[in-house]
Amino acid sequence: MNKIFSNLFKKDWFGLLIVVIFGALIISVLKPAFVSSFNLYVLMSSISLMLIVAMSQMIIIAIGQMNLSVGAIGGLVAISFAGLMEVYDMPIFIAASIGIVIGVSAGFFNGYITAKTGISAFIITLATLYVFKGINLGITEAQPFYKIPDAIRVFGNGKIIGPIPYLIIIPLIVTFVMWILMTKTIIGRYMLAYGNSIQSSELMGISSTQIVITAHVISGLLAGIAGMLVVCRLSLGTPNIGDAWLLPSFAAPVIGGAILAGGKVDVLATALAVVIVAIISQSLVIFKVDPFFVQIFLGFMILFAVLINRYREYQEENKKKIFVHE
Amino acid sequence: MNIKLPKFLYTNQFGLLCLVIIFALFFTFVTEGFSSRFNLYALSRVASIDIMIGLAMMVVILTGGLNLSLGAVGVSTAMFGGWCMESLSIPIIPSIFLILLAGSFLGWINGYVTVKTGVHSFIVTLATMSIYFGLMTVLTKAQSFKNLPDAFTDIGSMKIFYRYVSPLLLFSFFIGCVLYYLFRFTDIGRKLIAAGANPSAAELSGISVNRMFIYCHMLSGILAAIAGIMVTMRIGAAIPSIAGHLGFDWLLPAFLATVLGGTLLSGGKVTVFGTILGALLVTLITNGLLLLDVGIFWVRFFLGVILLGTVLIDKARAYFTEKNIVVS
Repeated sequence: MNKIFSNLFKKDWFGLLIVVIFGALIISVLKPAFVSSFNLYVLMSSISLMLIVAMSQMIIIAIGQMNLSVGAIGGLVAISFAGLMEVYDMPIFIAASIGIVIGVSAGFFNGYITAKTGISAFIITLATLYVFKGINLGITEAQPFYKIPDAIRVFGNGKIIGPIPYLIIIPLIVTFVMWILMTKTIIGRYMLAYGNSIQSSELMGISSTQIVITAHVISGLLAGIAGMLVVCRLSLGTPNIGDAWLLPSFAAPVIGGAILAGGKVDVLATALAVVIVAIISQSLVIFKVDPFFVQIFLGFMILFAVLINRYREYQEENKKKIFVHE
Repeated sequence: MNIKLPKFLYTNQFGLLCLVIIFALFFTFVTEGFSSRFNLYALSRVASIDIMIGLAMMVVILTGGLNLSLGAVGVSTAMFGGWCMESLSIPIIPSIFLILLAGSFLGWINGYVTVKTGVHSFIVTLATMSIYFGLMTVLTKAQSFKNLPDAFTDIGSMKIFYRYVSPLLLFSFFIGCVLYYLFRFTDIGRKLIAAGANPSAAELSGISVNRMFIYCHMLSGILAAIAGIMVTMRIGAAIPSIAGHLGFDWLLPAFLATVLGGTLLSGGKVTVFGTILGALLVTLITNGLLLLDVGIFWVRFFLGVILLGTVLIDKARAYFTEKNIVVS
């Protein structure tokens, strides 16, 4: 029994799960409004959206890079999706397919240039951030698309049962698939190996180009899906969708114990981190704190998480040293 | 290849200078009003700020890091300055000192946390960006300071050289020269570069790398604060939105200027004049595109494409020079 617990404590997600449970308990005791049906619905909707955004960044962190253009891809796909339905009267299914194609191509573009030139993904995705955002604003001229089919409105705001929104279906599937991908499949292991050490993964015969492009394609795809889900939620396609994704997209994987140098990410922990961030943001609203405090809080949480990760790494290093001496 | 040209002609800066001149000539002939007194004056005011932003980013890139909190520091210090001058009625000169002090303090936090935790400055400054900007909005309640002393705002609308140029531009050049002197001729400047180029070698030769990195972040904070002061002078008020949401609007000019200028992202190399020319080019192209009636929304697209093009060309150049060396 003791062993099971000590093993569980070593997992990144276990500590976070305890934080989620106790946090939710304490807040709901202090403010019963927290567990009201409406509040849970709002909470789950915001979790659904940020879950995919976090996964989109996480897969790039796994290979030791970063993707600044997550929000820009999301925004571009969102306005394309809404625009195709409003201006060209396209059926939802076709518009969504084109949206996915745009997201995938944007990710492919990022990945191809990064892999082929070897320039840091930071600078490439910073440039493409402005390219995608520029296209977005150039097409829309900062005007939103309002004419969204009713089916989308229902999907974005309806509830399956009790407070559970329809919106959460796709994010749950995505999270599950990502978990399978990162823990059970060869391609996921290759990505982590690449993130750990590019040299040794190449010596093992893993194609760097393929890994980098695959990761960016998945990232683009997820960013696109997130963008379209926001359109469903808001029932309109505004050009500023995705503008505020950068910070939360990094916050969740980092709080979930991911190492930015690559090679270590945890899908479950990332998902739980999204839940934590959402609970905190939501409870700040319930306690009527200035919404700008959410930002400050998020900043401190990132720093705090980074410090904890660092401390654990340090301890593990020390343990290894003792081992060698013995 | 027997003709020996001066070394300067082979440098990145010379190429940039040519580009600046070519674009200036192009816009003069193609657009109406590019070379008008009004436009050149407006251009010089924007350029002076872009130069400061570029330099602020450059001194952190020297360490191999990044400073995403640049815009947030600039806005926070500008608002702090507005508060000092308007609410506390502190005279201008002491206020400016206080602003610079605040900038260096915010930079010090960035540097201290980065060095002590060993986490990449990207994630540290991402967090502090959100903290600084959030605190600023909470403290100011997003209200701007509009009643600044006239003597302060007058500098922003002053015109010199037959009313063609803003004195702010001269001041930016002056700061550039100071930085050049610092990195080229002073002991501390050489130490900063050594620490950025090869931290372990620098550490072995008795330089405290951590302290140097903190200095770089403090310098970056001060330069960002100067940029904040300049924007305040230009607009005549301290407004929370001068750098966009979270100060993100300053990042593109900052990276464009430094990358165009030839600063290595891996650290250890600075080009003050390259960065200044890079910032000038960015301002020039933005201004020209607007005059060409491209539409404000496509300008960002073009700047993104230019950044992409620059890094690709740079890569290609490095590739071919390497090849040449191998052949010879």
